[in-house]
Amino acid sequence: MPHWSWWAGGVALALVPIANWVLLRRILAVSGRFTALVDRLRHGPDEQQEEMSTEELIAALREATAREFGEDAVQPEAPAVATGSQPAQPATSLGVHAIFLLGLLLGGLASALLAGALEPTASLHGTLFASLSGGGSLPAAPWLLAGGVLVGFGTRMAGGCTSGHGLCGVSRFQPGSLLATVAFFATGVVTSFALGALL
Amino acid sequence: MTARVLNGAVGVGFGFVLSRIGFTSWDDVHRMFTFADLRLLLSFALAVGILTLGWLVLHRLPGSRWTPRPIHRGTLAGGALFGVGWALSGACPSIALAQIGEGQLGALWTVAGSTAGNWLYSVVHERYFRWTIGSCADS
Repeated sequence: MPHWSWWAGGVALALVPIANWVLLRRILAVSGRFTALVDRLRHGPDEQQEEMSTEELIAALREATAREFGEDAVQPEAPAVATGSQPAQPATSLGVHAIFLLGLLLGGLASALLAGALEPTASLHGTLFASLSGGGSLPAAPWLLAGGVLVGFGTRMAGGCTSGHGLCGVSRFQPGSLLATVAFFATGVVTSFALGALL
Repeated sequence: MTARVLNGAVGVGFGFVLSRIGFTSWDDVHRMFTFADLRLLLSFALAVGILTLGWLVLHRLPGSRWTPRPIHRGTLAGGALFGVGWALSGACPSIALAQIGEGQLGALWTVAGSTAGNWLYSVVHERYFRWTIGSCADS
C-alpha cells in the first residue's frame, strides 16, 4: 500500500472531521456510532423508537432559548444525561450509523483496489504482526479478539476513541479528551514496547 | 436519504484516508507506539493543529452542536484500556473496518471483540457504576 507523506496525511486526516462537521454538523465520533448500534442490538428497535430522548428534548429547549434570548442565555451544556444504558445517539437514525461504518470498509477497499494492493488474508498484513502471531490466521485470532474487546470496552468507558477524543476533542481543548488521549497513547506505548520484546 | 448519502460519503473518505496514511497497518501502528517511525504521529499532530485553527471558523456555522467532553470517572481507566487494545489489535474502531475492506480479514475478530466489549461495558456500567459516562454521542 502506497503511503502519503506525513504532511499530506495530516491534511487529509483533518479534512475528514471538517467534512463531517460541514456536511453533518456533528463531531466525528466513531465509537459513538458503535455504541448506538450496540444499544439497538441490546434493547431492540421498539424501545428505541418509542423513547423520547432526553438529549433531543434538551437540545430543542436550548435552541429555543438561544433563539429567544440570544446565545449568551444558554448555559454551557451540562454533562451528558445519557447513562450507559440509554441510547447514545437518539437524534440520528441508526441506519445512518450502519451506513457510515460500511463506508469505512468500502473506503479501505477502494484504497486497496486503486493501489492494486488487494491481497485478502485471514490474518493481518505485515511482517511484525506475523512474527507476533506465528504467521498463521488462527494464532492471530486471540490477539485480535482480546485487543478488540479492550477497544470496545475502553472506548465506551472513556466516552470516545481516537476520532472523538483524539482528533476532535484534543483540538477543542476538552479536558476529558486530553486525559483520555494521554491515557491511551501512554498504555499503547507501554504495551507496544512489551510486545516488541516478544517479536 | 440525503443523510445516508452524506454519512456514507464521509465514511468512505475516512476509510480511504486511514488506509493511505498507513493507520490500517499493524506494523506501522506498532512502529508509531515504539517511536521507531514518527510518520503517523506527525500526521496526527498536524491534523490536530489544523483542526484547532479550523474550529475557530467552523463552530460558528449555523446548527452547530458544540458538545463538551468533561472528565469523568471512566475517562482515565477507559482510555488506558483502549490503548492496550489498540496496541494489541492494531486498530481503533474505525481502523478495524478499513482493514477488513483492504482484505485484512483478521480484523473481523477485532470488530467482533470491540462489539462485545462495547456491549459488555454497558452491562457492567448498569450493574456496578453510577456515573454518567457521556458518550461519543455527538455524531
